[in-house]
Amino acid sequence: MGLDFVRIVEDNQSLVFSLAVRFLRDRECAAELAQDVFLQLYRQLHRIETPAHATWWLRRSVCHRCIDEARKRKLRPRIDIAGIPEPKAETRQGDFMLNARLRKFVEMLPDQARMVVLLRYQEDLDPSEIAEMLSIPVSTVKSRLHRSLAFLRGKLQRQEVYP
Amino acid sequence: MSIEDQLRSALRREPAPPDFAASVLAGTRRIASPFWRRPVTLALAASLLLAALIPPAISEHRRRQRAEEAEAQLVTALTIAETQLERVSATIQRNTRRIP
Repeated sequence: MGLDFVRIVEDNQSLVFSLAVRFLRDRECAAELAQDVFLQLYRQLHRIETPAHATWWLRRSVCHRCIDEARKRKLRPRIDIAGIPEPKAETRQGDFMLNARLRKFVEMLPDQARMVVLLRYQEDLDPSEIAEMLSIPVSTVKSRLHRSLAFLRGKLQRQEVYP
Repeated sequence: MSIEDQLRSALRREPAPPDFAASVLAGTRRIASPFWRRPVTLALAASLLLAALIPPAISEHRRRQRAEEAEAQLVTALTIAETQLERVSATIQRNTRRIP
């Protein structure tokens, strides 16, 4: 086998934690889930062939665990898309503020769409890879991406942040 | 910048908490040495096993002791009875010989 588990943790902790925290919107819960995912990998290390395989396994596992967790805890009702006040955009404060607002808007997306957006723009996966990872058709991935981008664009335009 | 590039910038991976890797590795140690393999657990299990086995063993020992005592008493009783029977038998034979 010869895989260095410590190295795998060091190389992938940011990937796993970022996906979990952006999906679950709860740092404590995300850290706990991310740890569980790594421990699950540790138990199955004999099946992992290469570091790239470990990364693929971790990404897939954290996606499914996050979706299951959201279903279990019914996180969606915590944020009402229609009712949430949009952050005020007094001026174009630069990338930092824009990025923060964009992340807030991504948090408002429905679970499946949010995961697709995270995999596309955080993990830089193409639609076919996302489809395989989430076990859904490529056309569904594309339509979710399209609708999510329209939603985000609309939110930003309403704030006159984005032309 | 397009919204897609903006999203890439906004959704850059963020670092895990500083103690994250250490917590994961502590978890792996717990997996490598599960609670049922730890010395304290083994000692406790051994104590419980002994506590469960010793009282029946003592009880069995006492039962055997009583059985051996009863056997010894029976042997003594039979020996006495045999002696008495031999005496009675000898007396009968003596008296039978006197009668012509």
